[in-house]
Amino acid sequence: MTELLTGLSQEVVSGIALGCIYALVALGFTLIYRATEVVNFAQGELMMVGAYVNFFLVSRISANLGITGAWMYFIAFMGALLFAIIFGIILDLVINRPLRDQPVFSVIMATISISIILRALVAMIAGPFTHIQSSPFGDGVVSFNKIAISVQDVFIIFCAIVLVILFYIFFRKSRWGVAMQATSADPTAAQLMGIPVKKVYRLVWIFATLVATVGGILLAPKTLLDTNIGFIGLKAFPAAVLGGFGSVPGAIFGGVILGIIETISAGTLSYHFAWIKEINDVIPWLVLIAVLMVKPDGIFGIAKVKKV
Amino acid sequence: MKGRYEDEKLFWIPVLIAAVFLLPFLLKGMTNSYRYYLYVLNIAGIYMILTVGLDLLSGYTGLISLGHAAFFAIGAYLSAILVDQGGLPFELSLIIAPLLTGLFGLVIGFPALRLEGMYLGLATMGFGFIVKRMIIALRQWTQGSNGLQVSSPHIFGFTFRNDWDNYFLIYTGVVLTVVIARRMVRSKLGRAFMAIRDSERAAEAVGIRLAKYKMISFFISGVFAGFAGVLFAHTSHFISTDHFDILLSVYFIIMILVGGVGSIYGAVLGALFIVLLDNLAIPLFKDWLQTFITVEAGDIQSLIFGLIMFLFIIFQPTGLYGLWLKVRIYWKLFPFNPRKRFS
Repeated sequence: MTELLTGLSQEVVSGIALGCIYALVALGFTLIYRATEVVNFAQGELMMVGAYVNFFLVSRISANLGITGAWMYFIAFMGALLFAIIFGIILDLVINRPLRDQPVFSVIMATISISIILRALVAMIAGPFTHIQSSPFGDGVVSFNKIAISVQDVFIIFCAIVLVILFYIFFRKSRWGVAMQATSADPTAAQLMGIPVKKVYRLVWIFATLVATVGGILLAPKTLLDTNIGFIGLKAFPAAVLGGFGSVPGAIFGGVILGIIETISAGTLSYHFAWIKEINDVIPWLVLIAVLMVKPDGIFGIAKVKKV
Repeated sequence: MKGRYEDEKLFWIPVLIAAVFLLPFLLKGMTNSYRYYLYVLNIAGIYMILTVGLDLLSGYTGLISLGHAAFFAIGAYLSAILVDQGGLPFELSLIIAPLLTGLFGLVIGFPALRLEGMYLGLATMGFGFIVKRMIIALRQWTQGSNGLQVSSPHIFGFTFRNDWDNYFLIYTGVVLTVVIARRMVRSKLGRAFMAIRDSERAAEAVGIRLAKYKMISFFISGVFAGFAGVLFAHTSHFISTDHFDILLSVYFIIMILVGGVGSIYGAVLGALFIVLLDNLAIPLFKDWLQTFITVEAGDIQSLIFGLIMFLFIIFQPTGLYGLWLKVRIYWKLFPFNPRKRFS
């Protein structure tokens, strides 16, 4: 019994770390959805691009500048964030501007096409290899009472919490944050009140790419770096729907809960029930369909009245 | 009141059908590698059947499906299992397997009644992943991820052995599909679909039962996709879960977007355009590009498809069929070119 409990709590802890990645991706498209009502299917690919840029910078900095250790990671991280800002501005120009007032179907397909393009471009530029991203924290493991957590996981959870707190303060206290809230409530009224709506949209896309890039950089050392890590972005959709699509706390809780469900089903449940092993890959999607059938608004969502 | 086919010349339709069936003879006379072209056209034909069904669902009823490869896979596997392991004659399987696939359409259509827009896209996408996984899990019949060998189509004592025979089988299916779909969209059913697409509230207000028609739309779309799947399984002789990917579902949508959402001919054109591009144009382009950098074929393909889809959404949302309509009207009114009206 105690073994089972230890196993379960171990899985919960790793699930939270995985869930924080989902939460960061989900946070990115929740921001975009809230402000512009565009559902960004390319969020996972933004994460992948961020991870690749960071990897590229790390290897360049150590090879060309001869800087190693903590500074190498720090400079690469900053470089990747700078890239994310520029990339966000480009995406705003390419996706957001031309697709205003288009039907949902076109917008979804446009973001999917962007995700296909990004994956193909990265695969062409970086080559069809799988890279291994080293972690600034090495392979260190902290253990409490038989439960082991890698330092990387601790850092992931820490970063996610810090980011969420920063966003919360930004939305509640700063001028731009309030402007964003106003824009997401009613863009026309916001514009009439003198809020530069276009700039707000640009800022939203920058934030979304920033969050995705941070998520990608955090995720890369946990898994191997190849173009398939973009698919994790797809799994963030069940997370967001579980929490309530369009709700920021929903994105975070949904992500964490989904991460825990996934690790537990891959671990303890698969060990005890053979048939669970068969459906491990699709657990997030089963959760998604179950949530959509039972309570489409998720845990934190508010039922919306459809505008005619 | 206008007649049903007032806006088009029916004279062209038999000519077009005759042209479709004369094309292989023409190709045989023109080139020695006609078998390859027929193979490519066969793939296009199978996809045409599916995209017409998808267009009825997405283009006419306005319900997004990001999991249509799943219906395609269900049709293919059902027919392969029924014919090869169940001993069902192919003629019957050609009818039964699509109908069973249509029932799967109802299964996904039922939760879809409460969903719209992006939620429906996500649910169908999840359905696609789950079906693929289930096919692997039922390895007793499907041989899991190893893939399944399938027998040749066999109708009333005639066996379709090669691409030449298959062409006539598939294109008979295409012609039937297009005719049925066109009759459907001009009927009460099609009008109800379009009313639902344009405004659910308004459709409900004039007495269209949303649930019923949405379910019918999913059923019909499933039947068409299942029909395409049956033809695919028996003409390609080998099916594997790798083929029925999420990317395939996306490619189907690219086809209807490129062809023109909400028109049957558009779906046909789109499937033809994308398959020809994929099999004839991209290999040439790849060879040219390979002189500069080393790339994988799949990457080029997805890059070009992604770009095409994106450019079409931004610059030509009505697709190839819309472009054709524009050109036709332009020539009809030739000296008085009403440029402004189409901007």
